[in-house]
Amino acid sequence: MLELYHWEPNALFLKPLVALEEKGAKFVSRWFDALSFEQHEAGFPASVEARLTLEREGPLLVTDGEVISSTFFMLEYIAEAVPGPALVPEGAYDRYRARAWGQFLGLSLGSSTIALGCARYLAPDLARRDPAALRAQLDRIQPVERRAAWLAVIERGQDEASLRQRLSLPVGRLEGALAKGPWLAGPAYSIADIDAYALVDPLRDLAPEVVSRATTPRLIDWLARIAERPAVRAARQRSRSGRPEQAYVPGVEAARWG
Amino acid sequence: MPIWHVTDMLQLYHWEPNANSGKPMLALAEKGVPYESHYLDLLRFDQHQPAYLAINPDGTIPAMVHGDLVLTESTPMMEYVDEAFDGPALKPSSPVERWRMRWWMRFFDAYFGPSLSMIGWSVFVGPATRQRDPEELRAAIDRIPLEARRIAWRKAVFNEFSPAELDESRRRVVWATGILEEHLAKHEWIAGSTYSLGDINGFNLGYALPLSQPAVCNDEKTPRIMEWLRRIFERPATRETWAKGRTPLAARVSMLERQTPAPT
Repeated sequence: MLELYHWEPNALFLKPLVALEEKGAKFVSRWFDALSFEQHEAGFPASVEARLTLEREGPLLVTDGEVISSTFFMLEYIAEAVPGPALVPEGAYDRYRARAWGQFLGLSLGSSTIALGCARYLAPDLARRDPAALRAQLDRIQPVERRAAWLAVIERGQDEASLRQRLSLPVGRLEGALAKGPWLAGPAYSIADIDAYALVDPLRDLAPEVVSRATTPRLIDWLARIAERPAVRAARQRSRSGRPEQAYVPGVEAARWG
Repeated sequence: MPIWHVTDMLQLYHWEPNANSGKPMLALAEKGVPYESHYLDLLRFDQHQPAYLAINPDGTIPAMVHGDLVLTESTPMMEYVDEAFDGPALKPSSPVERWRMRWWMRFFDAYFGPSLSMIGWSVFVGPATRQRDPEELRAAIDRIPLEARRIAWRKAVFNEFSPAELDESRRRVVWATGILEEHLAKHEWIAGSTYSLGDINGFNLGYALPLSQPAVCNDEKTPRIMEWLRRIFERPATRETWAKGRTPLAARVSMLERQTPAPT
């Protein structure tokens, strides 16, 4: 049995929902409220990898007692282990490309897109809460980096201008890649597209100066092609708030060297 | 700089068998795949020279050229090596173990590795380059294509790591070493029951831990890491690969030589 623990269908949480829908997989959806820290309570699926995932707050896929975390690798797991349409490219080099995109975008946009979303939507929410109660909730979070990620949102520790500046390299590379073909890793739609879609689509809202019809026409067309897929629509329909595009919790930390 | 030419043979552009360069070197050796080796001296900035930038415009090493195909990300490159060539499988057959292998490779690449290398660059790369003319160094750094790499080099060469950054890196190295020791108490290899790319990745990151972090990684505190490193070092492919090292950096591996026979 597959059980997916997820929050609103946005950013990291959107990825496995789309992949499972693409597979036509039977799975149990365990929706949780990431804003009330349910994922840090006793009884939530736990493992070393789930606790230490560098994505900090994200979905968990529970299968045969294993707790799968880290969304690009979760997509690879779904693609490899769940029956249904192949979601990994056919050739070894296209699979290399898919993985190289997953790594590059996971560490770049996985940090900056989510940090921009947190600055816009999560920070005002946290600012309205009782500071002492919030601090008590955060104090229970382990490891320390995961707690620090929430504190950085509260303290607005990340400079928005530099976050926006960091978008230009990944977004430029994506736009360039789409000049060479309709999908990111070879002739067919794959987990590379699902992964990138979840991290790029929010930028239409969060950074329209970077992702727009005028600046990135191919990216906009590619986003539209993915958005109309039945699996993506079905995944989006799992929203309980009606505003999944506003659902952000801390993601990957920015590279510590630069 | 060597003159590079096109042949049918696989081409690998690499530095020492260490960190990212050592990953495809060891994976290729395990598979028994011959390759034409192009050694680039990272400390002489060979990787930012025009001849190499024509192959990898990002100016990062390693890079692999297979026919018309160019690969520049070392961890996905290892998966390609495993999939594109004959030889022993370097990925587990179970999807859960493959997931675990990838999860740990990311932990090594994006958490443990950067902390360890920040310390390494501050004590090794920085001092090794600082004997040169600062203006020449500044110009060399300005030619680095990726901004993030320019920042890293500037910090290393001009010793601009803050004490707080270095303290945090030291804290992470101690903590991650403990996490790895616990993992190896539960699993024989990184992915689980089979030797895989996860071990190749981890060895490249950690083979010198007992020397660089003697108070943290040693036979008393981390016996499982020590045994794991020694088991990997004993593999013929590892010995063959580290013999290609040209500097004292790679020579550090010899401290993994057992003083007493392997446990049976």
